[in-house]
Amino acid sequence: MAVFALRRLLSAIPTLLIVTVIVFAMVKLLPGDPARLILGQEATPQALAELRRSLGLDRSLPQQYLSWLAGAVRLDFGTSLTDNSSVSRLIAQKLPVTLELSLFAMLISLLISLPAGIVSAVRRNTWVDRLLTLLALSGISLPNFFLGILLIYLFSIRLAWIPASGYTSLLENPGRNLLLLLLPAVTLGVGSAAVLTRYLRSSLSETLNQDYVRTAHAKGLTARQVTSKHALRNALIPFLTAFGLQLGGLLGGAVITEQIFSIPGFGRLLVDAVFTRDLPVIQGVVLVSAVAVFLVSFLVDLGYAAVDPRIRYN
Amino acid sequence: MRKSQFLMAFLSAACLSAACASAQTLTVGLDADPPRLDPALSTALVDRQVMNQIFDKLVDLDVNLKVVPALATSWKVTNGGLTYTFKLRSGVKFTDGTPLDAAAVKYGLDRNRTLEGSARKNEMSSVKEVKVIDPQTVQLTLSQPYGPLLAVLTDRAGMIVSPTAAKKAGADFQNNPVGSGPFTFVSRVRQDNITLNANKNYWGGAPKIDKLVYRPFTDGDVRYANLLSGAVQAITPIDPKDISKLEQNPKFSVLNYPGIGFQGIWFNVTRAPFNNKNFRQAVAATIDREAIAKSIFYGTVTPAAGPFPPGTAAASSAIKVQKPDIAVAKQKLGGKPLSFTLLTTPGSVTTQLAQVYQAMFAQAGINAKIEQVEFGTLLDRADKQDFDALMLGWSGRPDPDGNIYDFFVTGGTNNQAGYSNKSVDSLLAKARAQNAMSARVATYNVALGTIISDTPYTWVYFQRNLVASVKGLTGLKPIPDGILRFKDVDLK
Repeated sequence: MAVFALRRLLSAIPTLLIVTVIVFAMVKLLPGDPARLILGQEATPQALAELRRSLGLDRSLPQQYLSWLAGAVRLDFGTSLTDNSSVSRLIAQKLPVTLELSLFAMLISLLISLPAGIVSAVRRNTWVDRLLTLLALSGISLPNFFLGILLIYLFSIRLAWIPASGYTSLLENPGRNLLLLLLPAVTLGVGSAAVLTRYLRSSLSETLNQDYVRTAHAKGLTARQVTSKHALRNALIPFLTAFGLQLGGLLGGAVITEQIFSIPGFGRLLVDAVFTRDLPVIQGVVLVSAVAVFLVSFLVDLGYAAVDPRIRYN
Repeated sequence: MRKSQFLMAFLSAACLSAACASAQTLTVGLDADPPRLDPALSTALVDRQVMNQIFDKLVDLDVNLKVVPALATSWKVTNGGLTYTFKLRSGVKFTDGTPLDAAAVKYGLDRNRTLEGSARKNEMSSVKEVKVIDPQTVQLTLSQPYGPLLAVLTDRAGMIVSPTAAKKAGADFQNNPVGSGPFTFVSRVRQDNITLNANKNYWGGAPKIDKLVYRPFTDGDVRYANLLSGAVQAITPIDPKDISKLEQNPKFSVLNYPGIGFQGIWFNVTRAPFNNKNFRQAVAATIDREAIAKSIFYGTVTPAAGPFPPGTAAASSAIKVQKPDIAVAKQKLGGKPLSFTLLTTPGSVTTQLAQVYQAMFAQAGINAKIEQVEFGTLLDRADKQDFDALMLGWSGRPDPDGNIYDFFVTGGTNNQAGYSNKSVDSLLAKARAQNAMSARVATYNVALGTIISDTPYTWVYFQRNLVASVKGLTGLKPIPDGILRFKDVDLK
């Protein structure tokens, strides 16, 4: 198992290097001039030249890339062009917020998708299944921004139960932290739950048709025992992959949801950085999200291998 | 049932505690996260909302855009407009305890005009020297007369920073700003909030509110929803579409007052097709400014005749809003086809506006293609004169010079058209050197006659300042620069 993990990690190094080149090139390909954006309408040509020099924008691209990469491997992504603060510090401030939001959203998603997926699969083609399928399809098609605004309208404006926006850290005030994250987590969780419900339904349905399930039934086990002890465990393997993908996506920045609920997370850091052409921040955030997605899929792979030994030997 | 009751109790308890904690706190929603809280480095309008509370300026503006005393209690202009002598208020201290005397004012002004990367260099370029005469007197010597100087000092150029704090923090001063204003900086979390506390020892008396929190909401609907839900007690700006809803809502009040900026279209006069004056005039003649103000902005903007909004010193009734005239436009085209690309930034209002322009141009047979690029790119392409026509406005300055000089003088930093006219150059320079406003206004009107006929730019509308707040908030003054001052504001 340890060899498997090590091999997976080493094979990721070239991939990550390619990612750094893409991230760097992508940001450089953006049209426009960061110095012009920072200095705004009042800039004089001398001020622009001064700023470009102090930002290192007058050096060659390979030089800029190498010095950026050298910093990045030591977790130093430079300083923000907008307020001079360290990009690593900004990321360290914002990442936990998005991490917490993502985990909360995935918890909600699990609470919905596990029972819904199981019921759907066990009661295939009954009215319950059709109803759940309909709900899941609506959940998939409902855009985040729409659901978010709808929740704000209902719970913040009409009922005035939950503040419409804001963030308090978990350490500072756990109650308020959970309260403020509830609506955004539901917004994110519902979409993901809909996808996961469909996954679980199809993988569990498939498993329930396997021979060993028929054998278990023949041994005289109750339907509940067959489903929970035999079928579900196997059906959860593909579900785990889908879960990992969903979580990875959220960590990459729940951009729209963070925007709607004004949560100072990773996604908003990125959006703001794009608007203010804050290149070091864009590069840092994109690279860290790429690594986060990679880490989640790595952990999913490990989990997978732990559950199903066949994977390790391939 | 019990579960849901518990949830309700939990939720309402949390909301109640939030409401209690905010009894003395005023939270204000802005449309962007202020990037740089340093008077020397700031280039964004939204920075000024926050900095105005933290820093005192040498002089300030009143609701009629008149320059009034602030840190300077009086001033004298002598030596043919070359010497400005300011008497300072005595006994003022920065919030870090440093005394605010003539030496500190000299430090602040010199920092603004010389700091590397300072965005103030251009507007303070006429200042040759700042001298300390005695602890309460500061004297500015200019290299040439510059009438707009006082107005310039009502904004960031005149903000005085604590020398102790600025020297200690260095480049990080923007994250730890210290001034002598009615509020002191406490903390900021990017994209979340900027928190200020009342300065209890403020020379003009302590503010009535204890704490002032700014929160950025880039999306207009989200900003509006937060006001409705009580998460913030004031927002600025309001999307034009929400104005009437807020005005009809008895829980809120709306302030809707003239601003000092303008919006319109630049024509690149250095290349085809708009090196042809007739083509520029033809395009300008198709625009129905009244219709735009009504249909896109719900009447929350004023059709513009020139660079000086009504209510400002240089506004003149002699210059009329141009009426659309398709016959004139066609005649100017002289049967020649005109196609060009209109450059603009993305955003729902700019997109709508560009499309309305497109339809108006089409009435005269002018074919415009819309190209959208983000703001930095737009400015960059404007610098390189790589465009046909572009939509770009200006937030405005209290002195008329700040709305015209750099835009139309040859080689001016805001002269996006590449426009150059010797007689306009000399008129604009003359207006700058005059001290009496009436004489300056007369000079501007002569210059504007030529500029409007040459049409390197066509003015379309003047923005207004739109602020919404809860009814219990009182004491906000409608000062046309659009910056809210919270010293005398009360919240019940």
